[in-house]
Amino acid sequence: MTLSKLVLRSMRKNLKHYYLYFFALIFSVTLCFSFTTLYTNPSVIETLEKSGTASTGFEVASYILYFIVTFFVLYANHLFMKRRSKEIGLYQLIGMTKGLVVRLIALENIILFILAVGVGMVLGFLSSRIFAMILLRLVELEAVVDLTFSIEALTQSTIVFTILLVVILIQMIWMIRRVSLLSLFNASKKADERIKPFGVFQMIMGIIGIALIYYGYYKSTQLFNIADPDAATNLFMNMLLILASTIFGTFLFFRFSVSFIMNLLRSRKKGHLNVVDVLAISPIMHRMKSNAKSLTLITTLTALAIGIMGLSYISYYSSENNARQSSPYDYMIIDNKGVEFLELLNKEGIRYEKEDYLMSEVDLNIEELISNGLKDSPLFFTDEMKTSVISLSDFQKKVPNVEINDGEALLTSYVNVLSEIMPLQKEKNIVAKTEDLEVTLFVTDIREDFLLYSAVNTGGPVLVVTDDLFDQISASGKERTQIGINLKDNNDLEKAEAIYEDLADARGFELEIVEGHPFTHTPSSYEELRKENIATFGMTIFVTAFLGLAFLLTTGSILYFKQMAEAEDEKESYTTLRKIGFSTSNIMKGIYAKQLFSFGVPLFIGLLHSYFAVKSGWFLFGTEFETPLMIIMSLYILMYGVFAVLTIQYYKRVVNNSL
Amino acid sequence: MAVLIGRKVRKIYGKKSNAHEVLKGIDLEVNEGEFVGIMGPSGSGKTTLLNVLCSIDFATEGIVEIDGKNLRSMKEKELANFRREKLGFIFQDYNLLDTLTVKENILLPLSISKLPKVVAENRLKELVGLLGIADILHKYPNEISGGQKQRTSAARALIANPTLVFADEPTGALDSKSATALLTNLENINQQKSVTIMMVTHDSVAASFCSRVLFLKDGQIYTELYRGDKTRNQFFQQILNTQSVLGGDGYDS
Repeated sequence: MTLSKLVLRSMRKNLKHYYLYFFALIFSVTLCFSFTTLYTNPSVIETLEKSGTASTGFEVASYILYFIVTFFVLYANHLFMKRRSKEIGLYQLIGMTKGLVVRLIALENIILFILAVGVGMVLGFLSSRIFAMILLRLVELEAVVDLTFSIEALTQSTIVFTILLVVILIQMIWMIRRVSLLSLFNASKKADERIKPFGVFQMIMGIIGIALIYYGYYKSTQLFNIADPDAATNLFMNMLLILASTIFGTFLFFRFSVSFIMNLLRSRKKGHLNVVDVLAISPIMHRMKSNAKSLTLITTLTALAIGIMGLSYISYYSSENNARQSSPYDYMIIDNKGVEFLELLNKEGIRYEKEDYLMSEVDLNIEELISNGLKDSPLFFTDEMKTSVISLSDFQKKVPNVEINDGEALLTSYVNVLSEIMPLQKEKNIVAKTEDLEVTLFVTDIREDFLLYSAVNTGGPVLVVTDDLFDQISASGKERTQIGINLKDNNDLEKAEAIYEDLADARGFELEIVEGHPFTHTPSSYEELRKENIATFGMTIFVTAFLGLAFLLTTGSILYFKQMAEAEDEKESYTTLRKIGFSTSNIMKGIYAKQLFSFGVPLFIGLLHSYFAVKSGWFLFGTEFETPLMIIMSLYILMYGVFAVLTIQYYKRVVNNSL
Repeated sequence: MAVLIGRKVRKIYGKKSNAHEVLKGIDLEVNEGEFVGIMGPSGSGKTTLLNVLCSIDFATEGIVEIDGKNLRSMKEKELANFRREKLGFIFQDYNLLDTLTVKENILLPLSISKLPKVVAENRLKELVGLLGIADILHKYPNEISGGQKQRTSAARALIANPTLVFADEPTGALDSKSATALLTNLENINQQKSVTIMMVTHDSVAASFCSRVLFLKDGQIYTELYRGDKTRNQFFQQILNTQSVLGGDGYDS
């Protein structure tokens, strides 16, 4: 038999064995290639640039993508080489030199790899159009994307995958050269070393693991707590500490806690086990030593993927809300700058509602509202801050049914970052000052309603006082006006936007944030702000989703490969069990329990990790937390579940064929 | 009373032109309390016969009945239940689960039956006493010797009080001392608990522990020997003689 015949034959036999590896390879090439095609596509770039969206994120993401793929391919290759060690040993036993074996396996790898890359590139090219359409939809741009074959993408991908192939070959040669004939035969046995009786050490390490995770979670909730003087100054250090303690805790959890808990469960049965104990608990327990590392990896990757996607989806999801907070009305005119807008709308026959506001400004001291712990923080300044004031009757235009009496006041527009980092207490006193007035007011409520154009009060809270008091304040301080306009019919949006934009020069109003340095600020419409948000965050969610998909593919495949290997190793047990009278459905019951663990536990802990990670800083990214995070998590679980189903199918085949 | 009946059992592997007939119409009966050995040169169909008789494999033609039940009439699930409740198995390579302790391995067949724990414990005590493995119950298979493994396997085969125990070359991987110990154990269990045992072996010493030995050649029963009142040594000599008549070629021991 010639070498090429041998290669072909062993490939045909192995393809069945690692068709998922092949599939995963194709899929990752598809992802990489379509991603590269996308960001080298001139029409996409042009459209994005026209909308002001930066495409640099693309390039960074593509490097990360290549990195993930490289990591994944190397990991998978390592796993498969290990599984084939017996075959390699056999070749050497029948007198092939190591060089010949290397050539044989290398040839096989090269053929497989080139095939996968070829198919992946074709699929990537075809799918890049779909991805482009998804991207443009996400950023709400309308453009026709031409399907152009990008030479740049081709060369770039070819270079990257050639390098990857070389790395794989080196890894393979190294693995073959390193091991002796004898150890080749033992390689698959070495992995599952049998456990010793469990001792105090395991127990202590197991508890330390859980404690470390708990500590990481606790620390993460304190990350932006400015009451802790340490937190602000050592933000970066704290983040690293959280990361290290959760990851190391996760490892200890898998390495020690799991076996410890399972052994406890098992020994309580005193030898009278049920199917789940036999097929799930005891094998898992015995394999924890070799599986701890990969499970930690999977958990971390899952947490990372969901964390990144969660945060960027929170941003995207909050786009509208964010824009509404900046511009509570569709259009806003400050100090009557650009008031012609109303006439022009009338002229065009566009129907609208408008509300007029009077605003003034006080220096506000809110020291009492801040909880005691926060006062000592170096971040907190007890100075007075300039705050916009409106009258109760103006406030009621937007929020009816709110009352305050003499000597009372409300604070509103206080949400997000500020309220998360520096929560204010109500039913305390504040002091409001103007040049010739100083009043102490009792704050009845802290509200989240938005009415003023955010730039006017530089994003801070707005004070609402009684009409009488407002008159006094505005008499002694400066007074500004604001007109809020809402369109009645959304179909007029486009026309109105055009008119609004034409008036850009007229609309600028004066702002003075730093005393003595006034400047002109041109307000944006709600739609402009929303589009801006959508464009930025749509891009981000697109890129992160791409990366998330790669992460998912990596973790899912690694789990599948691992389980595939375990199924093969345990085939003998299934044979024994079936011979002594276990039916396939009895055995499958145990397998389901095992897969629930193998897939469920890393997923669950990963979700928990990402929940705490996102919770610690979500308010920096958007205004909604639960809904977007839940959506991302559900989608991830759903796709992750596909791998679990595939694994169970594989087990079913193994069990069915075991007798 | 016959526990196991085989009528015109034939087994053919492959199809049409490359069909290979391994069992060529075997008739046999095993009565309750018997210790039957099956001997024969390699390739004579010993293991195939055992697999067909114990429901792990199906006969191409013919009928196999255990305890009056035709194996062909049962579905996969029924067969599994039947094997668990009525049959016991001892294999050449022990087939113990490495992840379970000796005790857990022995109790394995009971893990899906609803036998009360007290009953199971009592049976376990009796069996490990008989087999002499009471002090290794909490060890893992990789910590005990081959002989101990095979006795564990025997205990597992007997824990469910089977009607019939099948043993496929149980001494094949054991040294002669462990083999003799195991066979003595099996003989005792056969006599004291009147368990019916059917054992495939190519070892004449092992066969001499049986009450009856069937000789297989080319897929047919060549002859059978009854031990009767003979001593083990006399029976052993008789087996050796039969083997030499049968033609030593192909004997692998």
